[in-house]
Amino acid sequence: MTGSTSTDEACVAIRAVDLIKTYGTKVAPVEALRGVSLEIEAGERIALLGKSGSGKSTLLNLLGGLDHASSGGLHVGGHDLDQLSRRDLARFRSATVGMIFQSFNLIYSRTSIENVELPMVFAGRPPRERRESARAALESVGLADRLNHRPNQMSGGENQRVAVARALVNRPKVVLADEPTGNLDSQTARDVMGLILDHVRRHNATLVLVTHDEELAATCTDRVVRLKDGRLVS
Amino acid sequence: MRLTDLLVMPVASLGQQKLRTMLTTLGVIFGAFVLAASLSIKEGVQETIDRESRKNDYSRKVTVFPKWDVVGSKPVSEVIVDGTMSPGRRERIRKALEEQERSKDAKRTRLDLSKERLEKLAGLPHVQQVIPIIHDGGLVLLGTRPEGVSLDSGSPEDDAFLKRIIAGRGFLAPDERGVLVSELLAYRLGIVNDFDLQQLIGRPLRLELQGRSSSPGFSVSISRRASGGDREEHIALEQVAAQLPAALDRFDLTEEEVEALRKAIRPGPVVESGVISEDFPVVGVYRRKNEEEFKGNRGSSQADISVVLPYLTAADLYFREPGRREQGIDQAVLLVDEELNVKDVARQVEGLGLDARAAIEFIERERLIYDLIFGGMTCVAGVALLVSALGIANTMLMSVLERQREIGIMKAVGADNRHLQFIFIIEGGLIGLVGAAVGLLLAYCASFPADTWVRSMIMRDIKMELKGSIFVFPPWIGATVFAFTVLVTTLAAYYPSRHAARVDPVTALRHE
Ligand SMILES: Nc1ncnc2c1ncn2[C@@H]1O[C@H](COP(=O)(O)OP(=O)(O)OP(=O)(O)O)[C@@H](O)[C@H]1O
Ligand SMILES: [Mg+2]
Repeated sequence: MTGSTSTDEACVAIRAVDLIKTYGTKVAPVEALRGVSLEIEAGERIALLGKSGSGKSTLLNLLGGLDHASSGGLHVGGHDLDQLSRRDLARFRSATVGMIFQSFNLIYSRTSIENVELPMVFAGRPPRERRESARAALESVGLADRLNHRPNQMSGGENQRVAVARALVNRPKVVLADEPTGNLDSQTARDVMGLILDHVRRHNATLVLVTHDEELAATCTDRVVRLKDGRLVS
Repeated sequence: MRLTDLLVMPVASLGQQKLRTMLTTLGVIFGAFVLAASLSIKEGVQETIDRESRKNDYSRKVTVFPKWDVVGSKPVSEVIVDGTMSPGRRERIRKALEEQERSKDAKRTRLDLSKERLEKLAGLPHVQQVIPIIHDGGLVLLGTRPEGVSLDSGSPEDDAFLKRIIAGRGFLAPDERGVLVSELLAYRLGIVNDFDLQQLIGRPLRLELQGRSSSPGFSVSISRRASGGDREEHIALEQVAAQLPAALDRFDLTEEEVEALRKAIRPGPVVESGVISEDFPVVGVYRRKNEEEFKGNRGSSQADISVVLPYLTAADLYFREPGRREQGIDQAVLLVDEELNVKDVARQVEGLGLDARAAIEFIERERLIYDLIFGGMTCVAGVALLVSALGIANTMLMSVLERQREIGIMKAVGADNRHLQFIFIIEGGLIGLVGAAVGLLLAYCASFPADTWVRSMIMRDIKMELKGSIFVFPPWIGATVFAFTVLVTTLAAYYPSRHAARVDPVTALRHE
């Protein structure tokens, strides 16, 4: 899947060129990605499939600016991630992308509304404004009555919905979801996917969904991309 | 990130680890407490010393004495030591013999505190006042009853003395023509009832200074007496002294012994001598010193039968008597304008050939000792703070490790490295701030019972009542404790905060 040069620059949400990611030491290097090139248009919904250990999460972390590629170029939401300063990269993570993880990654000591507020805290939004936004986001995922509950006082589905609210509260142009429904029963999974897709549709956002579920990939996304041993296959 | 959030987040995370936060803060409190206490006591003791030494201008005074000098010791002819002995022993014996030889014809002379020399002292730069100290003996007559007394000079500003006045008043001026009498003297003079004491005020008291003839080069006195004895005795003793040279033959002595004595008591230069007497109105009566007042000057006995004249009046009377004028006085006190100049004045006095003693040198040595002690204490306090800083570094590092996942999440949702670093540094700073505040407060509160305790100890041991607290808390102490404590704890938080900033979000988030 090499990028087609005919695509208008403005329409490209993600462009990866020959991404290589090598973990570990020189003695025992682990090549998680071995040259991935990928182009995703704005508003496109992509499913990323592959066996365990094929490098899906690695790729997603690179796209989310959580990690640096060992080599290769990467543009996300109009930013060249190599060029961003550390400070801008932090801003990129809070404003441009929204990440959802299989294991929710909520802060246990904080209530749901505080968890949802967190990205806005680092973005420097004033308290009243961000409280309002967080409340609205939680209401839109159906948790109006769980604002002041802590993660350990809520079910997995509820926690994931909090995580979704947190990922989407800053209206990101790119939503990156790493097996968001992996820990949920099928009904709850459908609800959570519904929330994500709803957002993507409404804001014309780009979605990269990592999943093992062929059916979910087929019904919820426009295109399926497969990874095998750190390389794209299709 | 907003400033309020940068402050709220550390508070929140400290609040989550209440016990741990409390224990680390306790360490800091202890350090700040010791620091505050040692600075405070150092300052307080310093102030107390200064205050005590300024009392009665103690630190601005130079006491001047006449100086004895050995002069006229002309070179002695070589002393020969006979016998066989070690060179060391020969040398020692030779030296001793030589000194003996020399002292035979040496003359001890005294540089007196004469009237002229006192005037010279008054003219020295920075000298504000010359206070002659006179301690003499004489006779008083009230009506016809003569009584031997000791005569002292006093100052109108001597508070300790003013306290002892039981009738009448103190002096109005150093040159007032008036006299204060001791209650025992009044009793001896027949003023027995309290009522009569009041009647004594205003009555003229005749004061007589007997001539001190320096002529015979010896004197006859009764040594067990503190004061002069009565007039008859005095006169009789003078008679004995006067007749003694002529009566030498009548003793059972050899020819040589008589000759040696005659030579020794050969009259010196003849000094005109006579009795000086003047009437002074009694202005007041004073009691003897009580135990406590007397404690200060151990060794000297109280002169109970005594009179006191204002120092200028006393000096005037003293110098009117030719023998005394010749000899000068035994002691004078110079009051220097400023503490700074005291040493300088003392050196000048010594330059004039007189003996000078200034309390300031003693006070300064004392100050140095206190400085050393409290400097050491402050260092210990500093070390206590550093130790508590290590505690902070340790616990914060632990909490960074425990909160890796949380830090990773924060980074994933947009926290910058410097945000995280800042949050942890603020945590350290907050611990310092709270520790300093509580430590200072504790030190302040503890200073009251501690002060009472030290005070009672001083009272018990040296019977001295201190004014003011020995703990003081000027603003700079608070500022120093705050600044130093916060600085130390913030620095302690620095390394853990770097650790927090370096947490890799991918690694932190990988494992549940
Ligand atoms: N920090 C790391 N150090 C060393 N190797 C790593 C590290 N992170 C990932 N790997 C390796 O990189 C490869 C890809 O890992 P990745 O987590 O991307 O797989 P995945 O496709 O997400 O698998 P799963 O479906 O199980 O989540 C794996 O072989 C993994 O062992
Ligand atoms: Mg994965």
